[in-house]
Amino acid sequence: MAIGEHFPIMGTRREFFLRAGSGIAGLALTAMLHEDGGLAATPQSPLHPRRPHFAPRAKRVIHLFMHGGPSHVDLFDPKPALIKYAGQPLPESFGPVMTRRNVAQNPLKPPVLPFRRHGKSGLEVSDFLPEVAKCVDKIALLRGCHGDSVNHPQSVYQMNTGSILMGRPSLGSWVSYGLGTENQNLPAYVVLPDPGGAPKGGPPAWGSGYLPATYQGTLMRPGSDPLVNLQPPPDFGGGQQRSALDLVRQLNARHLDARDFDSELAARVDAYELAFRMQSTAPELVDLSDETQVTKTQYGIGESETSEFGTRCLLARRMVERGVRFVQLYSGNKLGWDAHKNVETNHTLYCRRTDKPIAALLRDLEQRGLLEETLVLWSGEFGRMPMSEQGLGRDHNPWGYTVWMAGAGVQGGLSYGATDAIGLRAATDKVHVHDLHATILHLLGFDHELLTFTNNGREERLTDVSGRVIHEILA
Amino acid sequence: MRSWRSATAPTTSLLLALFCATQTANASPLEKDLAPEQRDEAFADEPPVTDEQRRHWAFRALQRPQPPQVEDITWSRNPIDRFVLASLEKKNLKPAPAADRVTLIRRLTFLLTGLPPTPAAVQSFLRDEAPDAYQRLVDRLLASPAYGLRWGQHWLDLARFAETDGFEQDYMRPNAWRYRDWVIDALNADMPYNEFVQLQIAGDELKPGNRAALIATGFALCGPDMSDLNLVEERRHNVLNDVTSTVGAAFLGLNIGCAQCHDHKFDPISQADFYRLRAFFDNLELFKDRSIATPEEATLWEQAKVQLERDRAEVQAKIAALERRVSDGIAKPSATNQKKPADVEKARRDAVFAALKRADAERYHRLLAEQQLLKNKKVTLPPHARVFFEASATPKPSHLLVRGNFQRPGPQVLPAFPRIANEANLHVKRNAAAGSSSGRRLQLARWLTRADNPLALRVIVNRVWQHHFDVGLVATPSLFGTMGEEPTNPKLLDWLATEFPRMGWSLKRLHKLILTSATYRQASRGASEEARALLSQARKIDPEHRLLAGQRRRRLDGEEIRDALLAISGRSNGRRGGPGFVPPLPTEIRKTVIEQQWRVTPEESEHRRRSIYLFVRRNLRYPFFDVFDGPDTAASCARRMRTTIAPQSLALLNSELSTDAARYFAGRVLAASENPREQITFAYRWTLGRAPRGDELKLSETFLRDLAAQSYNRSSRVDSGLALPIPYPFGGDPYDAAAVTMLCLSLINLNEFVYVD
Repeated sequence: MAIGEHFPIMGTRREFFLRAGSGIAGLALTAMLHEDGGLAATPQSPLHPRRPHFAPRAKRVIHLFMHGGPSHVDLFDPKPALIKYAGQPLPESFGPVMTRRNVAQNPLKPPVLPFRRHGKSGLEVSDFLPEVAKCVDKIALLRGCHGDSVNHPQSVYQMNTGSILMGRPSLGSWVSYGLGTENQNLPAYVVLPDPGGAPKGGPPAWGSGYLPATYQGTLMRPGSDPLVNLQPPPDFGGGQQRSALDLVRQLNARHLDARDFDSELAARVDAYELAFRMQSTAPELVDLSDETQVTKTQYGIGESETSEFGTRCLLARRMVERGVRFVQLYSGNKLGWDAHKNVETNHTLYCRRTDKPIAALLRDLEQRGLLEETLVLWSGEFGRMPMSEQGLGRDHNPWGYTVWMAGAGVQGGLSYGATDAIGLRAATDKVHVHDLHATILHLLGFDHELLTFTNNGREERLTDVSGRVIHEILA
Repeated sequence: MRSWRSATAPTTSLLLALFCATQTANASPLEKDLAPEQRDEAFADEPPVTDEQRRHWAFRALQRPQPPQVEDITWSRNPIDRFVLASLEKKNLKPAPAADRVTLIRRLTFLLTGLPPTPAAVQSFLRDEAPDAYQRLVDRLLASPAYGLRWGQHWLDLARFAETDGFEQDYMRPNAWRYRDWVIDALNADMPYNEFVQLQIAGDELKPGNRAALIATGFALCGPDMSDLNLVEERRHNVLNDVTSTVGAAFLGLNIGCAQCHDHKFDPISQADFYRLRAFFDNLELFKDRSIATPEEATLWEQAKVQLERDRAEVQAKIAALERRVSDGIAKPSATNQKKPADVEKARRDAVFAALKRADAERYHRLLAEQQLLKNKKVTLPPHARVFFEASATPKPSHLLVRGNFQRPGPQVLPAFPRIANEANLHVKRNAAAGSSSGRRLQLARWLTRADNPLALRVIVNRVWQHHFDVGLVATPSLFGTMGEEPTNPKLLDWLATEFPRMGWSLKRLHKLILTSATYRQASRGASEEARALLSQARKIDPEHRLLAGQRRRRLDGEEIRDALLAISGRSNGRRGGPGFVPPLPTEIRKTVIEQQWRVTPEESEHRRRSIYLFVRRNLRYPFFDVFDGPDTAASCARRMRTTIAPQSLALLNSELSTDAARYFAGRVLAASENPREQITFAYRWTLGRAPRGDELKLSETFLRDLAAQSYNRSSRVDSGLALPIPYPFGGDPYDAAAVTMLCLSLINLNEFVYVD
């Protein structure tokens, strides 16, 4: 299969402009016709659904981002040696360690809560996460992950964009660029930030970098007004706007007629119709009144600790159900899981908030047959150090941590890779962030080396010049 | 000796590896690559620049082409037209007819000022029957201070200008506005481009002690910077790479940044070339705003500091004198650990106060108060800015960094101009110290602005051309290497590049040359059947519109749309210069950064200043500009993308910016006339620059009538709001008035409003 066939926009950047300009008519019109099978390959909208390089296992992704850095040694990576050597300094054999807050000489700190075996697989998960532990047979734990920076923003950027620098396209942008989206009435890439605030580093985390702005993450929130500027202010509502849109349409039609039906102008006409439709599709999406009480209870909606994150998890399911390509949920305000002072209090709070909703999401997706084609990814920007900080806390650890995946062609009940005896560094079957990205793109049907965009004469890609698909975790 | 080089072997695809292999195999440096003085440790091991590479159109020496002969000798107004016409004739194409005057003034006014023309300006241009009416319009607009506000933005895009660091902390740079103002002022004053460049590269060395020249050097330093990186060397490394990449892209149109980890894969830019260019900047002190005080200000500041110290000493002496008078009668404070020193001191003073005679006691009290005042008093710092500064005239050696790793210094390199752009083999003098500075950058600045620097000249004339025609003669304006596009009219490009220094490097003269060409004045659409047929034929033969049969239609940038909305609603605050303003944001967007990062400017009228003064936070682009493809300020932006997406429609329909504009604009419409036809005409003239045609007038009248009736009927059923104008005239009919607001909102949402023909 020739790449160009499915990536008409993969030419030069200039060609891209022109095509993007000429093709966006499709945003509403072409795509709708396509869905009805009414139109063959015509100029493509940048969000027009496209086939990847090969048959995909995943059609969409939900990324659960635990911002601040959840402690792998307290959640998913049991280390008996940490208990045995608790209170002792890091043995010299581990060599010098770069840390954010000079904790290298601090005593080792045992896990806060005990680990237990769960499910048929018998994988060990901490008592912090009793509900997710019950789903462990659906999950592949990647226990040997690592990244490149001890700082939050750089690591948030890296987990999202592959690069520790600001301003590169995020995973969600690459996926929207590569696959388009199935529902033209909703954004392709939705970000549901924690209501307490955005992650460190801010909006560039879901930015589109050098990819067109079309592919950047769109912020949505629960409630009646889910998108910025979605609804007219109260004084402009009640039919006034529809009248104005009708006038705009009629006057634009005359303008267009005098300009040889310039496709860029035509695209703008269609964008207005789409905007109008979004005013009903987006509120319908976030309106949970058609969900049963049972479902809501499963997600913890109504319970003070889980209601907020549970609502967003349920929204994530409703989004993938409606064809949104990539949904990213953040747990944790600007500090979030960043347990420098006290892992126990911090993780007790954040695990309570997320454990039940995440388990419900996995079960709900499975029940509805969505999990087969939906990849669920759980990660922070890094893990935490085996040494203690200020007695009860832990510092950032990008050198070794755990990420998990579930659904869409990923083997459940599997653990892949390992950190060293104390969880300090990834040691065997290591998975760099680039490898993680390569694997996700692979599941979506992409050769990560071929999903490229020409920027300033360089063929850029999410995985830069590396990335290895972790075939070992694929079903 | 290929140790460092072998470590840089590319690890990407086989194809690229092969490419590099063929390029570097048997490579030995060419004598003409680097003057003997410039041969550094990296030279021996560097792939040479081949003659074929030097023949690439962008690197070839400039030769001044003659304007070609053309068949149609009536069309051309200046040499530009002959180059364009010749290329059209070659394809049997004809230029489009000239655009009508309303189109021309709207096109010109947005291009040169970023604003729509006022109806009065349109009328006066239409009535001006003098043969030089168009020329005078061009002159008037070029002389407008708004020119710098529009063209300054283009330059700030290239400079990746922002007023914060980026990354997690995203700290404010409280003096960043000074560079923005310098750009605007320089452009308005038509500073010759060679001087404009020289000051930005080496203003500190060129004009020591000159404040404006110092501020100009802010260009390279306004990029992103992670201020809390653990390692200072890494932070420095990142910033220097960014400076080098930006200089290469902005002035030379080269993606030289590509060579920081390995030799450029396609262009003859070696990794050593990158670090040689970086070496010009290696001696800089970074990360601090520095004083840009004039000698007088510095002296005043020093004097004020001395004076303050003197005042403090004087008061202290007086206090001590009083205390001595009673020192015998005061019990020494007991040295208990329980009391804080401040309490002990207070007790001592109270005792002194009690022991003094009444008049002295009162004086003592006054002196203590005065002492406290002086203690808190600070001498206001003289003005600061982030500018170039070198602390030593003899720089430390610079090194190539293996694989771009700052912890792996490779061979030593000397500052040198990129070999591919330096066919004349000019070298950098080593002992050129200027004051405390090494004098290296001054040499770079002069080299970049030589009248025979083909690359730099082609790059700038192409940038200017680009904004007149939406696309440059070279469509990839910062990518003149082999990965970029070829020029569509290479002879025209070279003619402009040779003409520009002859015009004294005047950007305004270059504008005028382009603007007064017949090429620029062409219509973008066919007004007659014949013209339609011509254009349609041109589209078939030249679908990408590179030959310029006809003008290109251009969508306004977000900044222009915002400024136009403020202008037509009569709300624009014309205050120029000084620190920018921070406008309010929708809560959910404001919450994506921490609170102190978006402190709204208290004075509301500030929120209505021109867009170029809107505070640029690297981590949070102003949403309205963001949605209309504003640049991300992470790297130099030579050409903005242009997307058409539904969120743009939502922003223009529903944002506070739009709905406020519609209300205030409607207020002006109602103030202008009570007659619906006149109201409609007024609104059209302000938004579209023209009166409505018959069918449009009818449609608009029907709209007003129907909407008013509909709202009236609705109001009897539901109690919902009305889009009332501001001000809302006393005694008016609210349903009619709200319909006018909705007409205004409709007009600003039209394609015709956001596009320029």
